[in-house]
Amino acid sequence: MRAQSAKPILSLMGALLALQLSGCATQSIPKGALRLEESTLEVRALQTRRIAAPSETAILTATIAMLQDLEFNVERIEKPLGVISASKLSDADDSGEKTALFFLDFLCVVGGGGGCDSMSTAKDEQSLILTMVVLPSLEHKGEYAIRVTLQRIIYDKEGRVKVLQRVAKPEIYQEIFDKLRSSLFIEVNES
Amino acid sequence: MIRKFVLLGSLACIAGCATSTPVDISGNSAQLEARQIQTRQYDTLDKTLTMRSVIATLQDLGFTIDQADAELGSITATRYDQVTMRMSVTVVQRAAEKVSVRANARIDERAINDAETYQDFFVALDKAMFLTLNKVD
Repeated sequence: MRAQSAKPILSLMGALLALQLSGCATQSIPKGALRLEESTLEVRALQTRRIAAPSETAILTATIAMLQDLEFNVERIEKPLGVISASKLSDADDSGEKTALFFLDFLCVVGGGGGCDSMSTAKDEQSLILTMVVLPSLEHKGEYAIRVTLQRIIYDKEGRVKVLQRVAKPEIYQEIFDKLRSSLFIEVNES
Repeated sequence: MIRKFVLLGSLACIAGCATSTPVDISGNSAQLEARQIQTRQYDTLDKTLTMRSVIATLQDLGFTIDQADAELGSITATRYDQVTMRMSVTVVQRAAEKVSVRANARIDERAINDAETYQDFFVALDKAMFLTLNKVD
């Protein structure tokens, strides 16, 4: 009788031990975290343009002015390496974002789940983090190789991180380079 | 007997998890071993072109550059892709034509210590260095 009453306590303690052990164990590092993807060269091409400019100062000044046009804050510049780091905080509410939230709610309602209020998280904030590397082209003299990488963090209304992602849309990179060409044109013609 | 063992084990684990947070200054890895898996020596490009290749590699891997210092050979970068991954890479001129590259990576609060992940990074760097050497932007 005593042995029987001890069994649930024993199994409870066993379960507790297992829970503790799993809680103590650190999560494993994702495999291939630093492995190159096969699409790397395409991404490189998407993010890189060669632009002719009269001088390194002209192209760097035009790049900084363009970032200001796009309302970015320039955080750091390391001229010998051509690295410009910039960021900006803005609303995350483009129409695509809202459509995604709407569908999330729609699926939630259809699925019979409660608390379907993803739309209420609209007006999220997003932090855009950008690096531009502006260096003399290795291939062509008088030209500069410019590469942009862009990432974003979306925060919900409570300031919690909702999305961490690299920006991969080609049109966004194209827009940056179009704006840079205009900026360089203004820079060259003003000076 | 078994009951005592389970009880003790359970208590030990609770104690292990509930200790006050120590100042983790030393990290977990053995110093020399960590240096070995995190470092490679190159004799193909000079320090500046090696740094250019390191920055390109980090961009290839989806990082943005937080800061770079040409003189000290230090580059810090972050990637936001489901998790936050931070890397510090140091390029040091060792001899006339020898450059050493050391990389450190962390995911959120965890340091990466497995050799395979660093090997992947250096494979990516090899490719970027090949492109730089062949004057491909």
